[in-house]
Amino acid sequence: MASVDIRNVRKSFGKTDVLKGISIDVDDGQFVVLVGPSGCGKSTLLRMIAGLETISGGDIKVGDDLMNAVPPKERDIAMVFQNYALYPHMTVAQNMGFSLKLKKIPKAEIRKKVEQAAEILGLTPLLERRPAQLSGGQRQRVAMGRAIVRDPKVFLFDEPLSNLDAKLRVQMRTEIKSLHQRLRTTMLYVTHDQIEALTMADVIVLMNEGRIEQAGPPLELYDLPANMFVAGFIGSPAMNFVHGRIENGAFVSTKGVTLPLGVAPEGLEGKDVVYGVRPEHLHVVTEPGVGAEAEVQIIEPAGSETQVHLTLGGDEIVGVFRERLDLAPGSTVRLTTDSAAVHLFDPESGRRHIL
Amino acid sequence: MSTVDHLNDERAPEGPAENRRVPRAGHFLYLVPGFLLYAAFCLWPIAQTAYFSFFRWDGITDMRWIGLRNYLELFTDPLTLTIFGHGLVMIVFYAILPVLIGLLIVAIMTRVRIRLLAIFRTVLFLPQILATVVVAVAWRWIYAYDGPINAVLELLGMGFLTRAWLGDFDTALASVGLIGTWINFGLCMVLFIGGAQKIDTQLYEAARLDGAGPVQEFLAVTLPGLRGEISIALILTVTNALRNFDIVWNTTAGGPGTETLVPSYLIYEGAFITRNVGFAAAASVVLTALILVLTASITIGLRRRY
Repeated sequence: MASVDIRNVRKSFGKTDVLKGISIDVDDGQFVVLVGPSGCGKSTLLRMIAGLETISGGDIKVGDDLMNAVPPKERDIAMVFQNYALYPHMTVAQNMGFSLKLKKIPKAEIRKKVEQAAEILGLTPLLERRPAQLSGGQRQRVAMGRAIVRDPKVFLFDEPLSNLDAKLRVQMRTEIKSLHQRLRTTMLYVTHDQIEALTMADVIVLMNEGRIEQAGPPLELYDLPANMFVAGFIGSPAMNFVHGRIENGAFVSTKGVTLPLGVAPEGLEGKDVVYGVRPEHLHVVTEPGVGAEAEVQIIEPAGSETQVHLTLGGDEIVGVFRERLDLAPGSTVRLTTDSAAVHLFDPESGRRHIL
Repeated sequence: MSTVDHLNDERAPEGPAENRRVPRAGHFLYLVPGFLLYAAFCLWPIAQTAYFSFFRWDGITDMRWIGLRNYLELFTDPLTLTIFGHGLVMIVFYAILPVLIGLLIVAIMTRVRIRLLAIFRTVLFLPQILATVVVAVAWRWIYAYDGPINAVLELLGMGFLTRAWLGDFDTALASVGLIGTWINFGLCMVLFIGGAQKIDTQLYEAARLDGAGPVQEFLAVTLPGLRGEISIALILTVTNALRNFDIVWNTTAGGPGTETLVPSYLIYEGAFITRNVGFAAAASVVLTALILVLTASITIGLRRRY
C-alpha cells in the first residue's frame, strides 16, 4: 500500500496538450475516482501512473519513490483493463498466477495466493476454465483476481465496468467497493459514469479538457459544485440552469419568471447570473399565489419517483418528485424551490457565487 | 463478498447457437453441380493416379498389373529414399526457417514501432508474386561463380569460401533451399503481421504490468495469438516445400549428381522421361499421403484448445 502523489503532470501528443498540469494527492488506502467526459485525459493520466505512457512534465510518486522513469513492471502497480485483457490460452488460475510465475515464486505459494484471491472473488469453481468459457462479469472478476494476487501498492481500474450490462454493472460496483473495504489498498478508478464515481469514491476528481474542475468527497461535489460544469456533470438528471439577473434581491429569469432565493445575495444586485437548482429540489405547490407557473411537457414515472419535464417561462427544466402527483401533459403547475439548495453561477466564468 | 451465488445467474457463453436446421435431401441437389466439377477435375485424377500405381505402364502400350511392386521399389531403392529425404530437408528451408524469421520480425514489431511498415511489407512480400522462373534465373546468377555472393566474399577477404554454390556437392541443396526461404518468409511475415494486429494491445500492456520482459511477452501474448496464422503458414509452406519443382528444375535440374533431386522431380522424370508412369503414380501417392499426414498433424497440433 502506498500514497500516490501527482504533481503538475502534463502530457502532450505532438502539439495537442492532453493534460495541462494535474496535481492530485491520493492518500494511502484511499479510493479515488477520476471521472469526466470522454477525451478529458483521465485514462491517459491512469496509464501514466501505470507507466504505459511517458510523462511530458511534472512528477508522479508512489509512496516516496519517483516513478517518472521507472518501467511498468517495477512500479508494483496492478491494473484492471476495460476489456479484461486476460490471456486467452491460460486457465483462470494461470491468468491469476502469471505475474507471480514471472517473479519465480514457488508453485505451492502461487497456488495458495491464487486460491485465496479466488475465494474472495467467488472464482474457486472456475479456476480451471479458460476466459472464453466465462461470462463478462466472471472475466472481470478474474481480471481483478489477477491484480489482487500480486498484492500491489496501488490498484488502477480503467473503466472496468463499461463492457457489462446495466444490472451486472451495479452488482460489480458493490463488489469493487467491498473489495476496497476489505483490502484497504490505494485504488485509482477511471470512469465516465458519474453514478459510479458518486457511489464508489472516497474522493472524486472531476476532469475536463485536461484540467481538474473539482476534487473532493462525492457529496461535496454534489452539494457544493465549484462551477457549472461540475454542477451539470454530477447528478442525474442534471442540475437545471436558468439564465437571468438579480433584481431587488430576487432572481428574475430572462423570460421574466421570478424564482425564490434563500439569502439575498450581496454584491450581485442587478448582475446577470445563472440560477442552478437540482431536479429534486423543485416542489409542486397548491396554495394560490405561491411559486412560479410551469407547463408540464413529459411525465416519466419510475416507481420510487417521477421525472417531469417542464417549461418555466421559455426555459426547459426537469423536476424529480417522490410524491404521487396527478399531472397531465399540457397542464400547468406552480413550482417552488428549496431556496437553501439553490446555487448562483457567474454566466461568464461558470463559477459558483458563494452565497 | 457474496459472489458465489451470482455465478449461476450469469450465463457463460455456450457453443454455436442451436438454430441450425437439419438439411433435407433436396438441399443436397444444390451441391451437385459443384461436386461434379470437383469430382471430374480433382477426385477422378487422384483415383486414377492411385490406380496406375499398381501397374507397370509406359503411358502408351498395355498396362501390366504388378500389385505393390512400384511401392516396394520406392521404399527399398536408396536413391528414392534419399530424394524423399531431400523433400524433408526442403521443409526446413521452405517452412521452418521462414516461419521463424517471420516470428522474429513480428516479435520486434510488437515492441518497436517500425516506420514505413507498408513499404517493408511490400518489398518483403514481393518474392511471393514473382514468377518462380524469374526467381530461379535471378538466383542462378546470384549464386554463379562470378556472381555477387562470391564477389562480396572476395571483397571481404574470404576468397577461400567462394565456389559455384549450386554446383558444389556440399552447398547445392542448402543453396536451393535458401531460395525457398527467401520466397516464403515474406508470406509468413505478412500473415503474422496481420495476425499480430488483431491481438488486443491491452494484452501487451497487461503483460508488461505483470512483469513480462520481451521474451515472456512474446511467449505469453504474441505466440498464442498467432496460433492460427502459424498453422496456415506451415500448411502452405510445407506443402510448397514438398511439391517444390520449378525452382529446382530452373536452378540445378537436380544436380550436381542427385544432390538436389526432389520428389516432384522423381514424378516428372518417371512420367515424361523414363516413361515409368506406374512408378511416377506410386511416388505421387506417397507424396500426397506425406503432405496429408504433415498438414493434418500441423492442424491438429496447433488447433485452438480454448
